[in-house]
Amino acid sequence: MLKIRSLNVAYGGLQALSEVSLEVEQGQFVAVVGPNGAGKSTLFKTISGTVAPLSGEILYKGRDLLAVAPGERAQLGIAHVPEGRQVFASMTVMENLEMGAYTRNGRARWGELLPMILALFPVLAERREQLAGTLSGGEQQMLAIGRGLASAPELLMLDEPSMGLAPALVDAIFERIHQIHRQHGLTILLVEQRVAEALESCDSGYVLETGRVVMRGRHDELVADPRVKRAYLGM
Amino acid sequence: METLQWFFIDFLQALAAGLLVGGTYGLMCVGLGIIFGVMRVVNFAHGDFMMLGMYLAFYMVTGFGMLTFLGPYVGPIVGAVLAGPIVFVFGWLLHRYLIARVTGARVVSAEAEGHYTQIILTLGISLILQNGGLILFGSLPISIQTPLSRESWELGPIFLNQARSVGFVIAVIFALVLYFFLGRSRLGKALRAAADNPVAAAYVGVDVDRSHRLAFGLGVGITAVAGGLIASTQTFQPYIGFDFVIVMFAGVVLGGLGSILGAFWGGLTIGLVQQMSTLVLPYQLQNTAIFVVFLLIIFFWPRGMFGRSWERT
Repeated sequence: MLKIRSLNVAYGGLQALSEVSLEVEQGQFVAVVGPNGAGKSTLFKTISGTVAPLSGEILYKGRDLLAVAPGERAQLGIAHVPEGRQVFASMTVMENLEMGAYTRNGRARWGELLPMILALFPVLAERREQLAGTLSGGEQQMLAIGRGLASAPELLMLDEPSMGLAPALVDAIFERIHQIHRQHGLTILLVEQRVAEALESCDSGYVLETGRVVMRGRHDELVADPRVKRAYLGM
Repeated sequence: METLQWFFIDFLQALAAGLLVGGTYGLMCVGLGIIFGVMRVVNFAHGDFMMLGMYLAFYMVTGFGMLTFLGPYVGPIVGAVLAGPIVFVFGWLLHRYLIARVTGARVVSAEAEGHYTQIILTLGISLILQNGGLILFGSLPISIQTPLSRESWELGPIFLNQARSVGFVIAVIFALVLYFFLGRSRLGKALRAAADNPVAAAYVGVDVDRSHRLAFGLGVGITAVAGGLIASTQTFQPYIGFDFVIVMFAGVVLGGLGSILGAFWGGLTIGLVQQMSTLVLPYQLQNTAIFVVFLLIIFFWPRGMFGRSWERT
């Protein structure tokens, strides 16, 4: 579904991604893990089009994504839930979800998706008319994911959904992400610093360090790898 | 006793005049406010777009007489309203070919850097419009002659200038339509989303550049309508924009930067202060009064009367 080949990205002369290649199959849950500053968010921004690469190729369902304008990429079924949530703070919870459904598909399936999102995150139903800026961090994260789901995506990209949340909330959020994957069969690309949680239920994963893919493999290969165990899982 | 009664009537008269003038000020401020709120661009040329609206209304009504068939009462009103879409298209094109080069998604990351070029560009546009206006329209002060501007409705002891009253009603209608457009419609919500968080807006599929273009066109368009309305209540020349742009900035800041509703109240407050000040101060000190009140309000409510309680991160 998503194929990235030798992607190079630089900010002001500083190489953020070097020769990154990555593949996501339809229906898969793929995790990209790695420490702070490894280039994980840059990877997402390049896919969404807010950052332009120096070279490389991104194919989405066989189509050259780099030739598509950033605003149009959401229309193709790519939902980007950004790092730090980035909800529309001055708009209500419902308006945020409506903005999620700004895409053609999202609008067409609003009637079926809204109840699904509210069932997944009941707190959003309680806070419908509240301004998103007044929600707690965990609620904002749920809203950001809900907004992503409202676009009726085929590929859901989650950037550090655990950022700045209390451990109990992190578990709840990951639980929901698994649920979205299992029950709705959605293709998920997750970027995380919390390696253990991210690798726990992914189908395959990539380890990114200082802009390079240093390891890739299936779920069982990665969690069994002694280097991953030592460096990230504390075993 | 009698002096007190006269003062009371004077007070009511100034209050009414302030409200009527403030309505059109409010509409102008909404125009400036929507551009700032969505694009984060300080438009120094805003007063000159208002001047364009005045001359467009003038030429449609008086100069070329296109609207004479509507009669002396309806013609000036239709002229003012029609100035809106014309200036909207002008603003849309100006953004497309000029302003978009120094604003929008590409500059969002380098906000402080971007602002310098924006200030210089809008200031340049302002100078071109003023001096271009001088060449095209001449320096002679003119106004739209309509029986409305000379006649008044009497509300008990209070006189309501008809041109100003009609202007007030139309300004309020425009502000309300815009308010509901932003609050209810899909396009309006997309505009607010682009204003709130341009990056996230792009992620949900909003074309942020197009939203900016729409905001700029709308902003200058409704200000042109306000200009067209004022054109039948006072004389004007190509430099008039400068007198008003200061009032507009004060109104927008008073209302709280980024708040559309606030911008209207800000403009209304300015109008009220300006007219009420004539009760106790000489006419020439109107603007002084405005800025004294402005400073007081900013001192006590630094975010403005309707400022957001949180900041963009």
